[in-house]
Amino acid sequence: MPGFFKQCSALSMTNLRSLHRRKLISLSMVLSVTLVVVVLLGFLSMANGFRKTLAATGAADVVLVTSQGSFSETTSRLTTEQLHLLQEAPGIARDAKGRPMVSPELLVPVDARRQSDGQAAPLSLRGVGAEALELRPALAISEGRMFTPGTGEIIVGARLAARYQSMQIGDSITFGQSKWTVVGHFTAGGSVFDSEMLADIGQVRALFNRQGQVQSLRVRLGNPADFAAFQTYVEGLDMGLKAATEKDYYSAQSQDLSRIILFIGWPLAVVMAIGAAVGAMTTMYSSVSDRLVEIATQRSIGFSRSAAFVSTLIEALALTVMGCAIGVLIAWLGLDGWSASTRSGASTQLSFELALSVPIIVNAALLALCVGLIGGGLPAFRATRVPLRSAMTGRST
Amino acid sequence: MPNDTDITLTHVTKSYPLGKSRIPIFQDLTMTIPEGDFLAIMGPSGSGKSTILNLIGGIDTVDEGQVAVGHTVLTGMSDAALTQWRAAHIGFVFQFYNLMPMLSAAENVELPLLLTPLSARARQERVRTILDIVGLSERAGHLPSELSGGQQQRVGIARAVAADPKILLCDEPTGDLDRTSADEILDLLQLLNRKLGKTIVMVTHDDSSCRVAKRTLHLDKGKFIQREEELMVCR
Repeated sequence: MPGFFKQCSALSMTNLRSLHRRKLISLSMVLSVTLVVVVLLGFLSMANGFRKTLAATGAADVVLVTSQGSFSETTSRLTTEQLHLLQEAPGIARDAKGRPMVSPELLVPVDARRQSDGQAAPLSLRGVGAEALELRPALAISEGRMFTPGTGEIIVGARLAARYQSMQIGDSITFGQSKWTVVGHFTAGGSVFDSEMLADIGQVRALFNRQGQVQSLRVRLGNPADFAAFQTYVEGLDMGLKAATEKDYYSAQSQDLSRIILFIGWPLAVVMAIGAAVGAMTTMYSSVSDRLVEIATQRSIGFSRSAAFVSTLIEALALTVMGCAIGVLIAWLGLDGWSASTRSGASTQLSFELALSVPIIVNAALLALCVGLIGGGLPAFRATRVPLRSAMTGRST
Repeated sequence: MPNDTDITLTHVTKSYPLGKSRIPIFQDLTMTIPEGDFLAIMGPSGSGKSTILNLIGGIDTVDEGQVAVGHTVLTGMSDAALTQWRAAHIGFVFQFYNLMPMLSAAENVELPLLLTPLSARARQERVRTILDIVGLSERAGHLPSELSGGQQQRVGIARAVAADPKILLCDEPTGDLDRTSADEILDLLQLLNRKLGKTIVMVTHDDSSCRVAKRTLHLDKGKFIQREEELMVCR
């Protein structure tokens, strides 16, 4: 067996050293693998980034109550009677003054202009109650201050402030008929709230003519274990309401869109990989043809068929690994951390960052490996069938 | 009882396919090449000279009959067994040298040694010795493209004898060389035959090769004929 490895290594070395004779076609194989890897990593990091953003959103002890049958907060409606009854639910945490820690909320889609091209893009303006910050422990004012309830003040996610016009502290921004003053920027730990603007719910209802409207109620529980009792109470009201912890709510939302991204991404990458494998096969057939006399000579000298097979496969895999490495590097430098946005459940922009991870890179590398194995396998088999008489009749190049 | 490297072809028939028909090369060819012989086989193109080398070297198979080297019958051996046998017993010298263009002279000579259990140090020692014998120790690190045709063929011969096979099969070893280089190569082959006892079977068009060969056979249309004028020249 050591002899076999010596044979493989010697033949692989001669193959790889002769790559310069086939540089253009070898380069095309490397680039096609690079393309497959970049596309797959693009989709996977998008799905991963989106999932991470939504996974970072929400706590196990914060419950979101919406109306039954609503797909998202925007399609939900809660009545005043329901809000009163919900505040009596068991397990709700209370502040120092004994008030239940709840925040009735209303999400309004508004248009803001992008700094990059001046085009309008839909964003989420969330009207919240006084306890909103208590219910979002990850949310921190990074610049300026919290809005004053009952005024036309607004605070903006720092991620939005960097990308949209009129969102610096002190700026006035107009949404439809309403005019707001930006008094603070906040960060929210990479969660969906990073893509929102927060203002007093009373002002939002007044300025957007949505008197009395509440879409959801956020509730802080004294203990996550109290959720079961809270849920039983909500369902027991029999008023068409449903309760889910924030974590579960956003996790369910992330799964849907991640699935859509992956549903597009994987088939596209696989189709491209098939194309790359065909290209790789052409490259490797050309390599075998180029080395015909060399292979026949090596086999005449006494090198085995299996060594000829393995060394050809190693050449294919070496080119694949090169393409994969370049692809990962491009993705790492160009995609990782790149800001993207998509429509959230509220039909507004949700910003997130593309996130590479080791499992994603392993997935892309495995796909690239398949390209190399499929593309190199048949030509490697061809290398084992080179007629040895070719050594007698041909010149090595 | 045959010697270890007596080569015997017994009632060999060989043909090659051409479209749907087959072109016969030999019909019932029988010959023996004794150990230590230096046989030159001459003849026109297509007479089957190279086919004899291919059959003896186990890189082609007979249609009928048997090829044996010593006690080893090559006919019917598996490809893997033939490959191993070639590595241990046969050295090939090719008309166009067939050196690996990306390997240095020393690396080319080392190639067959990788099939032996020799250590890296022992391999390098052997390569140095052989390159010294063929007069190329100064060019060990050069690529084939940096060597003349004669020097490349010397490297080819060095590679052929590196693993110390008993039999050298030479296919037109001087066919691509000028007269001076060709004579040097023939002298080198003679040295290997006379001093080191290698059995050499050489296919050639080169009339002067009979100067170094112990025997010269002329092959025509698959049959050996002895041409008196050739024998006279050689004498």
